[in-house]
Amino acid sequence: MTTGEMAKAPALFLRNATGLVKGWSGFDAFAYAFMSVNLVALGMFYSLAIFGYVPDGSAVLSILITAVGMTFMAIAYAGLIAAMPRAGGDYVWQTRVLDGIPGAVVGGAFGAIALFLVGTALALDTTFTYGLMLLGVLVGAALGLKRGGIGFVLSATGWWFILALWAPIYGFIFKIEFVQPLAAVFGWKEGVDFFGTADGTFAVSIFTIVVTSALVALGMAGYARIQRWCLYIGLIALAVMFILMLVSSQDAFKAAYDREAMSQFGVSNAYQATIDQGTAQEVAGGDAGSFSLGFPTFALVPFMLFFLLYPNWGSTLYGEVRGAGDFRKVMNGMLGGLWATAGLAVVFVFLAAKAFGWEFFNASNGTYVNYAYGYVTDAPVVPIWGFPGLLASYLIDSHIVQAIIVIAFGAWWLGWTGTLFLSSTRMIFAAAFDRVLPEWAARVSDRGVPWGALALIMIPSVVLSWLYSYQAATFYPLTLDATLVIAVTFLGSSIAATILPYWKPEIYNASPVAKYKIAGLPVISIAGLLSTLFLGWVIYLWLSDPLYGIGVGNADSIKFLGALYGAAAVLYVVARFWRRAQGVDLDAIHAEIPAE
Amino acid sequence: MRVFFATDIHGSEVCWRKFLNAGAFHKADVLIMGGDMTGKAMVPITGSDGTWRVTLQEQETLLNGEAEVAAMEKRIADRGYYPIRMSPDEVAASQEDPSLVDARFKQEMLSQVERWMALADERLAGKGIRCIVSPANDDIFEIDPIIAAAKEVELGESNLIDLDGISLVSTGWANPTPWNTFRELPEPELRERIDGLLKDVPDRRRAIFNFHAPPFGSNLDNAPKIGADMRYVSGGQALIPVGSHAIRDAILEYGPVLSLHGHIHEGRGAVKLGKTLSVNPGSTYEDGVLQAAIVDLDVKKAEVKRYLLING
Repeated sequence: MTTGEMAKAPALFLRNATGLVKGWSGFDAFAYAFMSVNLVALGMFYSLAIFGYVPDGSAVLSILITAVGMTFMAIAYAGLIAAMPRAGGDYVWQTRVLDGIPGAVVGGAFGAIALFLVGTALALDTTFTYGLMLLGVLVGAALGLKRGGIGFVLSATGWWFILALWAPIYGFIFKIEFVQPLAAVFGWKEGVDFFGTADGTFAVSIFTIVVTSALVALGMAGYARIQRWCLYIGLIALAVMFILMLVSSQDAFKAAYDREAMSQFGVSNAYQATIDQGTAQEVAGGDAGSFSLGFPTFALVPFMLFFLLYPNWGSTLYGEVRGAGDFRKVMNGMLGGLWATAGLAVVFVFLAAKAFGWEFFNASNGTYVNYAYGYVTDAPVVPIWGFPGLLASYLIDSHIVQAIIVIAFGAWWLGWTGTLFLSSTRMIFAAAFDRVLPEWAARVSDRGVPWGALALIMIPSVVLSWLYSYQAATFYPLTLDATLVIAVTFLGSSIAATILPYWKPEIYNASPVAKYKIAGLPVISIAGLLSTLFLGWVIYLWLSDPLYGIGVGNADSIKFLGALYGAAAVLYVVARFWRRAQGVDLDAIHAEIPAE
Repeated sequence: MRVFFATDIHGSEVCWRKFLNAGAFHKADVLIMGGDMTGKAMVPITGSDGTWRVTLQEQETLLNGEAEVAAMEKRIADRGYYPIRMSPDEVAASQEDPSLVDARFKQEMLSQVERWMALADERLAGKGIRCIVSPANDDIFEIDPIIAAAKEVELGESNLIDLDGISLVSTGWANPTPWNTFRELPEPELRERIDGLLKDVPDRRRAIFNFHAPPFGSNLDNAPKIGADMRYVSGGQALIPVGSHAIRDAILEYGPVLSLHGHIHEGRGAVKLGKTLSVNPGSTYEDGVLQAAIVDLDVKKAEVKRYLLING
């Protein structure tokens, strides 16, 4: 037989056995990634609404640069999934890989930076701050030295604690993208006013918590079908918006906006007044067509991560990975979702400039954010946020059609919000099975409802919703912390991906990703290193540049972050001593049994 | 009494070797293998005259010489697949005639179980560690007598085994699956089988149920939903309970001190069902990681003192 004939030999023979399936649809992988880097619920709400704050930056290039950076992360994650399928995500990956010297180095560096920042935020004197920093090195290194510690701290904060802050943010997004626009379209002025208050924000946050908890209680099987429909409906809404923006002139939009502002809010000449207010607040500048590669463009990148950080969000349960084809499918799904979203975001930027006018668009966003975040006391000209879906709908002079468009855009929120607590409950289960959390955290009712895990995420979510609503001046500016904490978790996994071939070669060599090399170097290490550098740079900017409002210029933010990471570290240390007193050795969880 | 329980290693050589060493490593008194110990796939290594070709995980490799072939065979076996050397003619014949593949599978499975039992006899001799192996729904019936014949291993299936006054009752039969495997029963018949196994147990509270299928709706039985085309629905995100109602009802009715399960590799966890601690340690056998449960029992009080799910 010739070599060519031999190459046709089957790679393996399978017998009929439980669990052997034909894999999953590549479209599913794409759909999850696409809905996770949510152009509307996340992108339009935040990232695409802040260009006025960095007017000299290039909106388009900042999106593309961010997508390039996230490409490395997606490849690194696809590699981790291929190397350790079904492992359950960051918690297990970090726990399995980050130990010994690398774990101690990561933990020590992390502890040093964290406690140095906390010392600075508490305005302690230099000696005490450096003392804290040394304590951070020792505690962090100790946590990182043995398996479990650093993985727990980074994953508990990124997949559990910080999602309690995401609950009111999800609620706020629902409020300003759905509830208030609908109330305005239907002429329900009391509704617009109520949801503009702290009580209104708290109400939608509680609604969000109830909805997301109910979806966890009901299970993902039914919700998965809802998500599919949400994707289709959301894409139709987006297409309608793009078409309206494409075929309309700026003059037509100005007239439509002034008409609806008068009709819905009794405000005259709102378009120009918004520009004037934005100009006065220095948030109306910029050029959507700029392709400047200067520092301002790079300064926009950390803002873009608010929506482009999550192509890997649904990546932990793709199932049994048998080969390189599955690795490519995971990677392509994530990259497809990422780059499709980035492409649509770029299109949106050009269309917003064309249809709304870049000056107006930035002014509308900036004046609302400034007021909502408490940066200024002047209310915006129009009392609700200029949600792009609503603005585009104004081009059709029919409140019914406007309402239909806004409702259809709600699919972007509904199809995405259900995974909020799902991620937390999985993390809580994993920690409970590892005996770090008490048994009741993993209990389920007779109907399969994980009440313990839900309580552990619902209760802090209600508390943070209350703070977000009633201490808005302090907590609204912490919105970007919600992204930072998750980015730190992803940084940990990026480091794990980088060192995997060298630190855990037995896992790497047995995986399908081992075949991918560039210039003799493992692709997973190259992608992991570039992802580490990218995320590390962004985290440095977040923490060091006052532009982002969450770093050294905002002591509340640092204290909040310190409390999160401190609580996770304390929880882990207490759990170790508590379990030891019960005769349970947590080190045994990850101790490898010798085979020979 | 310390029980070390692992399951669903599906032919992984390294996982079996770790299992046999786990007693000494974790100071366990009893080792229990919950079944599904045979592999699901054979990987042909084709060629002759010292040059061989193999495709593992969609990566084709040329092997030169016996040392390279042996290293590849170990790698394949550690993942739970059976490496089979075949001539090009044998490959062609197997592709033409599925019965040849079935026969080779059977040969490989029996051969492996024989080797594993011999290894168990060698490693456990004189250690004072009891070892119980109970085949499950993916295992052919022909392995049962091989296990029963081992000196240091006791066959769990349908045998009532006394562990210092605690009764171990085992069955690898499961509720029906989409794959129509060897040991499946409709729920009513499964319940009858369980009741039959329990009729000679003197005190059912002082019992361990080693039932392969997890109890329905316990979170130990959450598996990715699959469609009629046998593909994951929604990228594997849609999890549904697929466990056994009969096993759940039996646990709740009889209240054994401990119930041990496997079957659903993704269903790793521990839950309380009534007074019973129910455990599914999960399985990641392809990674060469032996997931297991270590349970310390107070045999006098028939209580679980502590437990730990490990990744060995």
